[in-house]
Amino acid sequence: MDRSPIDDVEAARASQLDEARPEAVAAVHRAGRLTARERMAALLDPDTEVPYGTIAAVAPDGAWVAEAGGVDAVGSIDGVTVIASSTDFTDKGGGYGAGRLERLFALAHERRWPVVFFVDGGGSRARHPRSDLGHLELNGLFGRFMLFDGIAELSGWVPTIAIVSGPSFAGHASLAGFSDFVIATPGSSIGMGGPPMVEAALGLSLSANELAGVEMHERTGGIDLLVESEPAAIEAARRYLSYTTNRESGPPSASAAMIDALVPTGDDNDMVTVIDALVDEGGLFQLRPNFARSVITGFARMNGRSIGVVASQPLVDDGAIDEQAATKIGRFVELCDVYDYPILALIDTPGCTVGSTTDEDGGSGMTPGLNRWHTRPLMAHHHRTVPLFAVQVGRGGGLGPSIMGGLASGRSAPALWLAWPTADIRASDGFAAVRSQHAFDDVVAPSSTRRMITRLLTHLGGDGAPGGRTAKKHPVDTW
Amino acid sequence: MEAEQLRQIVEARARVLDDARPEAVEKVHAAGRFTARERIAALVDEGSFIEYGQLAGASPAVDDDAHADGLVAGAGRLDDAPFVVASYDVTVHDGTQTDRNMRKLVRLLYLANRHRWPFVCFVDGDGARPDPPLVPPPIVVYSRGTWDVYEGLAELSGWAPSVAVISGRTLDGNAGIAMLCDLVVATAGSEVGTRGPDGRPVTRPVEELAADGSVDIVVDDEAEATAVVADYLNYWAGGFEQGQPSATHDAITSIIPDDRRGPYDVREVMVALADADSTLELGALWAPSMITMLATLGGHPIGLFANQPSSPVAGAIDSAAADKAARFVELCDAYELPLVSLVDNPGYMVGPDAERAGIARHHARPLAALHHRTVPLCSVQLRKAYGLGPWAMSGWGSSRVMPELRLAWPSVESGGMSLEGAAYLVKRREIKAAENPEQARSIRDAYAEEMRDPASGVSAGRTFSFDDIVLPSETRDRIIAMLSSIPRVFPPVKKHPIDPR
Repeated sequence: MDRSPIDDVEAARASQLDEARPEAVAAVHRAGRLTARERMAALLDPDTEVPYGTIAAVAPDGAWVAEAGGVDAVGSIDGVTVIASSTDFTDKGGGYGAGRLERLFALAHERRWPVVFFVDGGGSRARHPRSDLGHLELNGLFGRFMLFDGIAELSGWVPTIAIVSGPSFAGHASLAGFSDFVIATPGSSIGMGGPPMVEAALGLSLSANELAGVEMHERTGGIDLLVESEPAAIEAARRYLSYTTNRESGPPSASAAMIDALVPTGDDNDMVTVIDALVDEGGLFQLRPNFARSVITGFARMNGRSIGVVASQPLVDDGAIDEQAATKIGRFVELCDVYDYPILALIDTPGCTVGSTTDEDGGSGMTPGLNRWHTRPLMAHHHRTVPLFAVQVGRGGGLGPSIMGGLASGRSAPALWLAWPTADIRASDGFAAVRSQHAFDDVVAPSSTRRMITRLLTHLGGDGAPGGRTAKKHPVDTW
Repeated sequence: MEAEQLRQIVEARARVLDDARPEAVEKVHAAGRFTARERIAALVDEGSFIEYGQLAGASPAVDDDAHADGLVAGAGRLDDAPFVVASYDVTVHDGTQTDRNMRKLVRLLYLANRHRWPFVCFVDGDGARPDPPLVPPPIVVYSRGTWDVYEGLAELSGWAPSVAVISGRTLDGNAGIAMLCDLVVATAGSEVGTRGPDGRPVTRPVEELAADGSVDIVVDDEAEATAVVADYLNYWAGGFEQGQPSATHDAITSIIPDDRRGPYDVREVMVALADADSTLELGALWAPSMITMLATLGGHPIGLFANQPSSPVAGAIDSAAADKAARFVELCDAYELPLVSLVDNPGYMVGPDAERAGIARHHARPLAALHHRTVPLCSVQLRKAYGLGPWAMSGWGSSRVMPELRLAWPSVESGGMSLEGAAYLVKRREIKAAENPEQARSIRDAYAEEMRDPASGVSAGRTFSFDDIVLPSETRDRIIAMLSSIPRVFPPVKKHPIDPR
C-alpha cells in the first residue's frame, strides 16, 4: 500500500517542527530569540499544550501557506489555563499564529481564559488591488470574531498579555496595542506602519527600532514592561498572571519592621521602598515603571491577597501629576476594577501640572494646571466597585489626593482612608482644606497600616476576589 | 406671621437681584459679559426658573453682602425640557467656591442625577474662597459639598449631558468642574488655570485648551455661548420636526474632486448631508484630521464624524484623532445619538512622531468604542479605505457589532495598502534612483494609475464589501430611512461614563 493519509499528515506536521528547519531556527537564534515552538515550551506547563492548526501552514501540495505560520494552543501556566500563541517570524514576516486565533479567542471568551501571545510580525500582506481580494473584506463576515474585534471583546473580560520580541507592525502592533499588558524585549519595535511604509509615506529611511523602538515606548507609555530577554518576558507574563489567583496568606516583607523609619520626611525618599515594606515579601511588580515616573502603578500582595497599588513618587517631579501621570493612574484603576483587584493608594503629591514632564526633556516646562486628562482618574475611581485603601503619606495638594485615591465621599470613597503622621495637608487651597478637616478615618503609624488593611481585606471577603463576576464591567481602555 | 418677617424676606431677596446692584452689574457689563442672573435668564424659558439658595450668603448676618453666596442656581426649562443651571458670580468674592455654594451645586446635581436632567454651569471664578468665615453650629460646618460636586458630575457623566461655560478667568476648583463636564464652551480670551505655590494664578488661554481637546467650542461672546448650549441640549432632548435638506445638498456630488488625490473640506459634505442649519461642530481646534459634529438628519439627532482630507495629514488618523473619535463615539453612545461616519482616510498615521505619540495604543480606542456601542451606526465610504482606516470609522464586519448600514460612494477605493504606498514598495528602487522629488512622484503616480481599478465602485459592490454603492445624492434618504426604522430608546440605567478624553 502507498503512504497512508496518516503518514501524509504526520509528514506535514513534521515539516513544521524546528528539527526540520535548521536554517530558519538558526536565524531566529542568531537574532537572540526563540522559535515559536520554543516559546510555547518555555511558556506552558509540561504536558498541558493542546496545539491547534499544526499543519495550517502546509498547502496540499506541500508548499508553504502564507499567514499561517506559528503556533496556537490551549495550555496552562502555573496551573492557570490560557490561550497561548506565537507568530513565526521566519514565515515571511509573520502571519497570525497558526491562523486559529479567532477560534481560540472565542474559546477564551466562553471559558474565560487569559490570552498570552507573542505578536512580532509585519501585519497582513498587501494584495493586488484588482484581485478578488483587492477590496477589504469589510462586510458581513461569518464567524463570531475576527482577530481585532475578538481582542476588543476580550478586553476587560480576560487578561490579555502580549509579548513583543522582534519587529511588530500594522496588524501585529494592533493586537499588542489592544492588549492589557504589553511586554517587550530590547531592540524590538511596535508601530502602526513599518519602515517601508514610512519611507513611502514620509520619505524617511529608518530602521524598525529607530522608527518605533520599544525603548522609546518604555518612556512614552506604549508598552508596560521592558525586560532583557524572551525568557524574562515569559517570566514577567507568568508573574502578571499569578496575581489572578489569591493565596491563603503571605509573609510580610523583610523590611516591614523598619517601615516607620522608611516613611518619607523629605523629598528624597523612594516610595517604592515604602511600598515594598508594606506589602508581602516579593514586593511590588511595577507596570509602566519608566513612563510618567512621578506616579507608580503595579501589583502586589497583602497577606496573600492580590492588590493593585497606585502611589506618588516624590523622587520624580516632586510627585506632581501631569497628563501622562493622570492617564497612567486612570488606566490602572480601570484595569484593577475590571479584574477585581482591590487598590492601595499612597499619596504624596503637590497636585496637577500641565505640559509633559516625564518625557526625555527631563521635566522642563512643568507648570501647575489642569486639563481634561486629569479628570480621567476621577471618573475611573468614581465608577470602580473594587475596594480602595488610601493612605495620605505626605502632601495632598489640589486635586492630587482625589486623582490618586478617589473622591472623599459618595460612591468612590475609600473603604479606609488613613493618614500617616507625616501627612502634610496645609490649607493652601480649597480641596486640601476640606479634606484635612474631615477626610481621614484615622491617623496611624506606618507600622500599623499593614495590619489594618489586611484585616479589612478579610472582612471585605469575596468582594475583592479576582475573576468572580459573571459579566464584563467594561473594556480596559487601551491608553 | 409677623408682617416684619415677611418684609425681611422680601427685602433680603430684592437685595440680591441685579436691579439692586447697579455697580456690580456695570462692572460685569464693562467686561463684555452678562451677570450671573442675565446668563440664566438668557437660557431658561420665561417664568420657568426655580431658584435654589437665593438668600444664601457668606454668613447668617442680615446685612451679609455675599449675594447668593456667589452662585446663582436653580432648575428650569429650556425649550420646554427641564434642566438645572447655575452661574458663579464674579462680583461676589471673585466667584470663589465655598462649602455653601458647593452645596447648592450638589442640590442641582442631585436633581440632575435623579431625574436625568442636563446640568449647565457658568464656571468662571477664582477657586476656593480664601479664609471662608466659619459658620457656627448647629448649622452643619463641614459638609462634604466640595467633593460631592465632583462625585455628582462623575455620576452624571453618560447619564445626562453636562455643560460648562468658561467666560472669564477660571481657576482651580472652578476649572475642575469644567473638566468633568461633557461639553466645555468658552468665550475667546478667557483663561483657565490654577494658583501656583506663591498664590499667583498661572493660566492658559482657552484657545490652548481647545487645541489639546480640553475645551470643545470657543465662541466670540456669551450670547453665542448661550445659543451653543441651547443647541447642544436640544440634540439630547430630540423631538425635532422632519428636517429640511441643506441648501447645499443639491451640489453634494461635486464636493469630491475628480483628482482622486485632491483634497476637499469634508465639512462641506457633512453640512450638505445634514438637515439645513443643524450642525454643531465639537473640537474644531483639536485633532484637525477628524471632524466631529452633532446634527440632525431628517429630524433625527445624530453624531456625525468624518476624516478630513484637507488636513495636513490628509485625513490620516493620528493619536489625537483617535482619541477625538473615541470620545465622540462614547458621547453619542451614552446619549443615544445614532452615529453616521464619513470615511476617507489613508489609514492610521505612521512615522516616528506618530509612534512616539503612542498611535499603536491610541489607535485601538475608536475601534473599542465602536465595538462596545449600542447606538446604530451608518457609515459612508466616500473615497479611500486602506489598512485599518475604514474599521476605525465603522467597526468590523463580523461579531457582536456591525454597522447597521455600510454604504460607499462610486469614488470608493479600498485595499490593504494605498496604491501610492504599494507603488513605493514595488517601485522602491526606481523611486529612490529618481533625480528629483517630482520625478519620484511621477513614478509613484504612474504605478498607482496603472494599478487603479477604474471601476472600483462597481467591484466594491460586486464583492459585497459594502451593503450598497450609492450616489451621493441618494445617501441622505438612505440613512434617514434606516434611522427612521430604529427608535431612539433610552436604557433605564447608565451605559457608561464618557471618558474625559
